[in-house]
Amino acid sequence: MHESLANIMDKMIDDEMLVAQFKSGNQKAFDELMKRYERKIFGYLLRSVRIYEDAEELTLEVFFKAYRALGSWEPKAKFSTWLYTIASNLSIDYHRSKARQPVYVLEDEETIETKLVASDISSNPEKQLEDKERGELIREAVDELSAKQKTVFMLARYEGMQIKEVAETLGMAEGTVKIHLHRAIKKLQTLLRPLWENNEI
Amino acid sequence: MPKCNISEGQVIDYVYGELEQTQSSDFENHLTTCHKCSRMVARYSSVLRLVDDAEDEYIPQFLVPRNLEMKLYKRLADAQPEQTSPLKRISDYFAKLILVMHEQKIASLCIFSLAVIAIAFFVGNPFRYTADLNINQINSANARIEQYRHQDIQRNLEDVLRKKHLRNTDSWDTVSHLNRVKDQAKGTDWVNIADNHLKHVHSEF
Repeated sequence: MHESLANIMDKMIDDEMLVAQFKSGNQKAFDELMKRYERKIFGYLLRSVRIYEDAEELTLEVFFKAYRALGSWEPKAKFSTWLYTIASNLSIDYHRSKARQPVYVLEDEETIETKLVASDISSNPEKQLEDKERGELIREAVDELSAKQKTVFMLARYEGMQIKEVAETLGMAEGTVKIHLHRAIKKLQTLLRPLWENNEI
Repeated sequence: MPKCNISEGQVIDYVYGELEQTQSSDFENHLTTCHKCSRMVARYSSVLRLVDDAEDEYIPQFLVPRNLEMKLYKRLADAQPEQTSPLKRISDYFAKLILVMHEQKIASLCIFSLAVIAIAFFVGNPFRYTADLNINQINSANARIEQYRHQDIQRNLEDVLRKKHLRNTDSWDTVSHLNRVKDQAKGTDWVNIADNHLKHVHSEF
């Protein structure tokens, strides 16, 4: 038995009870909520923005906003969904403000494709690229998705959400979420062509 | 080979596990015969696998920043408390009041009815005593005429007694006056009273 009794007890107190405790003046309840979600929210934001310091800053901002708004928050949805809503809005805003900065040059599809072709193991057998580098290129392709496509893809694929939950988190219709998800996957398929093309043959 | 009318979206749904059980098995049957679809499935599966591998190796490279809680509380302490205007505060107060009243329905109903009763008591005084008027007496014209006749008889009788007392007129005058009052008072109690006075006048003789 690895889990201590305290841990099991902790899990039995659900988020909504902690929220209620915080509302009635127990500051420690918020610490517990933060302990439960800081890792997840940070991971989500790091995948979204890819810059460690910015992800940390945004994570702080998420909990800052949550702390301030929790007093008047009505538990219509799950607490975690609400946190993801704040985080998603912040990351979409972040991408918009980055896109407006002219210094930030987005790589177009062809450059990624050329890089992928160059890095592909089968096309350069003597120059075996490390998986790590290939992973970086694939993540670059993911970053090519539009802010909404990426947010939907991240929530659905890596935060373990059903389409319905993603829709709830982003305040979209389920159909819209599906459209974004399909477009994201299709775009990834186009961007990563050099990798799967070789596998197919 | 039958013509394939499966859309790319359906293929993605299948790979993503978004198809229902029956749709999914139907599609799997279709895959055994359709080369185009099975190629698409393979392609999308490998795309997702590649992305998953790349993303899965990504996060463990990083540690979650330390002391996030401390940083948060520092930020909260530094932040300016939110300015609230008096108007906002008043509206907030009423919003909260309405919320409480909404939640505590029975209590608010009791307080509300008590307030209504109190206001009615102090302002309207609904329990004020009103004289028990005989409506018939007021409304009927005959009753009113009768009332006036009684008053007239009383006045005349008083006149007689006053004259007798002040002027000390002779008893003859008093007796005739009293007799006239008696005539006027026919059918009422005043007749007896006038009789009593007559007897008194006679006894004085």
